[in-house]
Amino acid sequence: MDLLLQFQHILETDPLIDEVGFVHPTQFATLTEDSTGDAAISDGTTFWCRDHKLGVSTQAILPLYNAAKRAFIAAMEEYKSLGDDGLESEVMKHSKALLLLSSDFGTAWNSRKLVVSKKQQLSMYMGELLLSALVLSCSPKSDQAWSHRRWVIKSIRGKCSALQEILGKESELVEKIAERSKMNYRAWNHRCWLVSYMTREQVLHELKKSRNWAGLHVADNCCFHYRRRLILWILKDSKLENASPGYSVEVSEVWKEELNWNEMLIKRYIGREVYALSTKQLNYALILLALWLHRRFLSLHWMKQFATNLHDVSCHSELKIRTSNSFNSFIDNELHLLNSCSTAPDNYFEDFQAQATYSATYILWLTKQIPEFWSEFQEKLTIGNLKTMMSKVCPERSFLWDSLID
Amino acid sequence: MKITALLVLKCNPEGTDPVILANALDVSHFGYFQRSSVKEFIVFVARTVASRTPPSQRQSVQHEEYKVHAYNRNGICSLGFMDDHYPVRSAFSLLNQVLDEYQKNFGDTWKTVQADSTQPWPYLNEALTKFQDPAEADKLLKIQRELDETKIILHKTIDSVLARGEKLDSLVEKSSDLSAASQVWKS
Repeated sequence: MDLLLQFQHILETDPLIDEVGFVHPTQFATLTEDSTGDAAISDGTTFWCRDHKLGVSTQAILPLYNAAKRAFIAAMEEYKSLGDDGLESEVMKHSKALLLLSSDFGTAWNSRKLVVSKKQQLSMYMGELLLSALVLSCSPKSDQAWSHRRWVIKSIRGKCSALQEILGKESELVEKIAERSKMNYRAWNHRCWLVSYMTREQVLHELKKSRNWAGLHVADNCCFHYRRRLILWILKDSKLENASPGYSVEVSEVWKEELNWNEMLIKRYIGREVYALSTKQLNYALILLALWLHRRFLSLHWMKQFATNLHDVSCHSELKIRTSNSFNSFIDNELHLLNSCSTAPDNYFEDFQAQATYSATYILWLTKQIPEFWSEFQEKLTIGNLKTMMSKVCPERSFLWDSLID
Repeated sequence: MKITALLVLKCNPEGTDPVILANALDVSHFGYFQRSSVKEFIVFVARTVASRTPPSQRQSVQHEEYKVHAYNRNGICSLGFMDDHYPVRSAFSLLNQVLDEYQKNFGDTWKTVQADSTQPWPYLNEALTKFQDPAEADKLLKIQRELDETKIILHKTIDSVLARGEKLDSLVEKSSDLSAASQVWKS
């Protein structure tokens, strides 16, 4: 049987296929041997399909791709010149086969958009989400496949009552794929994009849900980036006119929680890696960097919030006192953190140096952000001590210390 | 941060291949069709590293995106396949705990084992799930003070674990742990 026909036949026979992979010809023997469960659909050399997983022999990829491309281009030309409804299914069938073999074939994605937007059927849009997920199962970083999902969501917005549910599932899909492919910027970019379509409840839920993942993948800055996007959304939302006063309390709770959680993670890495390799040190520095950057983001917006409250003339004096109190305890906490990061246990020299440097630059950076609070700092932060300490811990950056502290 | 596998092996002093006493693997984050090759590789690398970890030594070997940690305590060796960011000290406190548990459960029976065990050991599977979060392993760290006293040897590649004149490729060829497919993927 013709390769392409065979491939398309399997895809039609099992519409629930959720993963496509390419297998080495010799793997067929092992796959067939392992006969637990249902019988596989397989010809023994080119295709193997069971449990909704479809394997294609690496030897078949090239001829299969050429056949799919030829069939797709022929179908597309015919469809364009005749505009016949009956040809749509041909375009859809061949573009599907082609995209599974070559995920960034833009013309094939576009042909599907063309057909689906003519039909305007919700089930077809849902079908596009399934196909794109299948493509992502073998090409998790395919930009075209991710962008096709965004096109679907934009198209069904307002027409589909289950949009919120779909967004929730999109978010889960990103997490599942991110688990398999590290630092997948395109996947996380997609998740960030989803935020603007979410409801308040959903955003708060996402923030809660993604914390665990971020804690276990501290080196993957993408998830922190996603959390920043969620937090900014909440902040913006709380400033809308119809937001209740109770909500702004909730927002400050979210903020405090995030700061505490971040502090817990930073402390987890104090004096941890005694036996560090050079590559290890690099990774380790990246983790610390991600954590401290996240803290800068949190503190900056937190302080801006304080500043707005303090300068707002319409603000209650009671609120001002409360703000000023929380500001003081915030500063105390940050100075305390600096202290615990820069106290050297004798045997943990390497980490201590990195942590002390990050914490000191962080504090100095803070003082530069809102200079009018500087006087407050000066009383509490004994600058001379900080300078001496930093010049000792990290003498190679003494220029930085001099310029920052003067 | 991820632990992909935990294994316990018996190291044979005569230099023959170590015997697998227990293993727990989580390959769910790999593609369906990669899983069998990944499993074969883990077993192969585990045997290779275990047989080159002398008694009472701790070592870590960087292999592709993994870090393989091994601790040999008088001939019985525990190994962990962690990703790069899993803290080294947490990894070794876990390996210490695994050996304690093994000996508590099975005593010295391992000394007479001659063939790979296929019996599941529930503790190891539970540990694989529980200690994905290194904070859990840190709780162990607090009660295992002796860990600080032994130096951990680090290898940047698996080649540096091998004896002079040994080549990874020829070990791959000789190994019965790897199917033809896995050998091809390697090269």
